[in-house]
Amino acid sequence: MLIVDRLSKVYDAHGRRVEALADITFSVAEGEFACVVGPSGCGKTTLLRCLAGLLSPTSGTATVHGKLAVVFQEYGRSLFPWLRVRDNVGLPLKDLSKRERQAKVEGALEAVGLTDAAGAYPWQLSGGMQQRVAIARAIAYGPRVLLMDEPFAAVDAQTRADLEDLIRDVWHRLGVTLLFITHDIDESVYLGQRVIVLSSAPSRVAENIKIDLPDERDQLTTRGDARFVELRARIYAHIQKAKRGSTS
Amino acid sequence: MSATLKRVGIWLGLPVALVTVWWFASAGSTDFFRPSLQRIVQAFRETWLGPRFVEEVLPSLARLAVGYVLAVILGVVIGVAIGLSVRTRALTEPVLEFLRAIPPPILVPVIMLFAGIENTMKVIVIVFGCIWPILLNTVEGVRATDEVLTDTCQVYGVKPLRHLVLQSASPQIMTGARQALAIGIILMVISEMVAANNGLGFTIVQFQRGFQIPEMWSGVLLLGLIGVALAGLFHLAERRVLVWYHGSRDADRR
Repeated sequence: MLIVDRLSKVYDAHGRRVEALADITFSVAEGEFACVVGPSGCGKTTLLRCLAGLLSPTSGTATVHGKLAVVFQEYGRSLFPWLRVRDNVGLPLKDLSKRERQAKVEGALEAVGLTDAAGAYPWQLSGGMQQRVAIARAIAYGPRVLLMDEPFAAVDAQTRADLEDLIRDVWHRLGVTLLFITHDIDESVYLGQRVIVLSSAPSRVAENIKIDLPDERDQLTTRGDARFVELRARIYAHIQKAKRGSTS
Repeated sequence: MSATLKRVGIWLGLPVALVTVWWFASAGSTDFFRPSLQRIVQAFRETWLGPRFVEEVLPSLARLAVGYVLAVILGVVIGVAIGLSVRTRALTEPVLEFLRAIPPPILVPVIMLFAGIENTMKVIVIVFGCIWPILLNTVEGVRATDEVLTDTCQVYGVKPLRHLVLQSASPQIMTGARQALAIGIILMVISEMVAANNGLGFTIVQFQRGFQIPEMWSGVLLLGLIGVALAGLFHLAERRVLVWYHGSRDADRR
């Protein structure tokens, strides 16, 4: 479970005061899959860093119940280039016995379809495969809550579709609480059970939209579904409104 | 296999050519100060392939090894401490620039005053000369630690010093260590030339003063060979430690 209560973040750099997050309140229920979308520059990454405990908020709180794992946007920079894939995935499991660790690493690599790449270095893999490694690392860690920060922003469209389905699959299997941050409206509708729309910076929660699509989703039929198109249009309108609201 | 042979051929080509030219150009030389290479090689065999190797060469190499290893340890430890904190860096920078600017050979007579002319003095001189490239490169390497990896360590509860900072700074640390090795050899010889009762530098100066010219030249030759051998060993070690670094750089270029 994830609770964000009246969270705000103000950067004070060189006398210039930048208000990134104005007042954010929402929660994600145990086992829920929620997406956060917003116009570019709306402080999505700031929000993630506050949730992950990498940044302390100016006011308000972000509470994560249970173990947290994060998949970062820059997959190329979030894997250790001096470690092979299996050691990258196993590094956070140093406290476990060698045997347990090995089992978890193998399981996680199998879940993302990378069993064959266990002995490779990350830089020998394609971008999409590297992000799979990062996802495997998060899975192996055994989190209750999983945060993802635009994880597929830098991969090509086909890889992206594969990874989206992989994430739905992982979510089903692990039963984790998942918060997925993206700037892509289609992606947010396709993936989650709920979309939280942020306004432009200083951002607030502009809208909370339930995605009442059937749980069984696939790239072809779901994206062609009339309900999908309707939800996408609604979110798009909200974001346009949020953008105008900040400029006027 | 043929690729390796080709590389060895390229590597050895010029040295072999130069030695050949030297051999024939100096053959039958009667000049006292420029003896024939044949004479020098003969002196080399008589001088260094015997008890002198143990008495003169090994003590030199031992001092170099101790001084160099100490410099690497100190340089990395201090470099990491400085590199991790912006404030320490600002505070120490002027002092480091000053200390680095002092040519280490000038410290030989100074250090002699309180450390005598024995091993301690020579090791101190080597440490003082070798530490700067290692320390300064370590600071730069630590400073360049990737923020996303730092975040990753924090989120996944991975100890950053061992698993991130030292690893990601290792290419720079190796660069510093390579520079330090060359400096170390120079200081090993200089410290022995000024004051010593054994060692390579000392022996070469003794030969020169005693007009044992072929022996003197053979000592110079030996120093060059030691330098090449140490650089080769270093290269092998570096290739092992930095497999990932060279690989990822090649991958970026593709």
